[in-house]
Amino acid sequence: MSEVVSGGCQCGAVRYRFNEPPRGAHICHCRMCQKAFGAFYAPLVGGPVSTFEVTRGKIAVFRSSDLTERGFCRDCGTPLTFHYVEGEWISVSIGSLDHPEAFPPIDQHGVESRIGYVNHLHSLPDRPSTEEEDPDATARIRATNHQHPDHDTAVWPPLS
Amino acid sequence: MTRSERKGLSGGCQCGAVRFHARLLGRPSICHCRMCQKAFGGFFGPLVTAHDASWTRGEPKWFQSSNVARRAFCGKCGTPLAYETKYGLELAIGAFDEPAAVAPVIQVNLNDKLPFFDGLTSLPVREHPSDEWLDFMAGVHSNQHPDHDTESWKPGGEA
Repeated sequence: MSEVVSGGCQCGAVRYRFNEPPRGAHICHCRMCQKAFGAFYAPLVGGPVSTFEVTRGKIAVFRSSDLTERGFCRDCGTPLTFHYVEGEWISVSIGSLDHPEAFPPIDQHGVESRIGYVNHLHSLPDRPSTEEEDPDATARIRATNHQHPDHDTAVWPPLS
Repeated sequence: MTRSERKGLSGGCQCGAVRFHARLLGRPSICHCRMCQKAFGGFFGPLVTAHDASWTRGEPKWFQSSNVARRAFCGKCGTPLAYETKYGLELAIGAFDEPAAVAPVIQVNLNDKLPFFDGLTSLPVREHPSDEWLDFMAGVHSNQHPDHDTESWKPGGEA
């Protein structure tokens, strides 16, 4: 049996899978990836389009240039995919995978746009966890969390 | 005024349908929690507290990620834009026109920090792209809004 790697958006309206493990994990610092992710860089990993399928819902697409499509969830906004229109490769956002920890990036792209402070993030001071700082709020978030769990589900949202 | 409390800054989504302005920014942070990872499709949520902020073009869509928090994004292009609780609004740092001006000063929710995070900055850099790649990139016509406010703007890139 091949190794299926699944993921999806925050709200669970979109779920996808690769039918063989994606590869080439990297972070891209280009300004278009920064903007699309509202972040400092885009973490991406991909595979041939033929190995990728959407298993729930539909991915909304923004054509960020004539050459490129960026997919996201229409209902919650999670950035999901990056695809060159004429290409046979599709990448997904590593943070949207059910197990992002399994895809450590191997190199950095678009470094001409790298934000100066990015190389110092890991040495920033740490705050205590939300659980420690505000256990009540954490309990309420946990009890009412609308984020899809990090695995496929037969039915979503859960029947109440 | 501390270093992180800067004068107003603007930003917006990738396609330009939604623009914002905040007159005063608080403490910029990166949040490692799994909900921020997921909402940003990334390794962490880069957010800065915004005071006296307004949507200056268009309106975002909102996803209620739990009963205490909701998250804003552009309905046309998906850019994550904001996180809001009763304690206030936080804006996505990468969506600012000048993210370099909003340097994080603290990390929160380390319990969910990805194991490879601390090593990211020492990854090799991909250099010397091929001629084929350079030709390909030369053909790009971007539909991304520029990194400044515009008098008028017609978002492109509808797929």
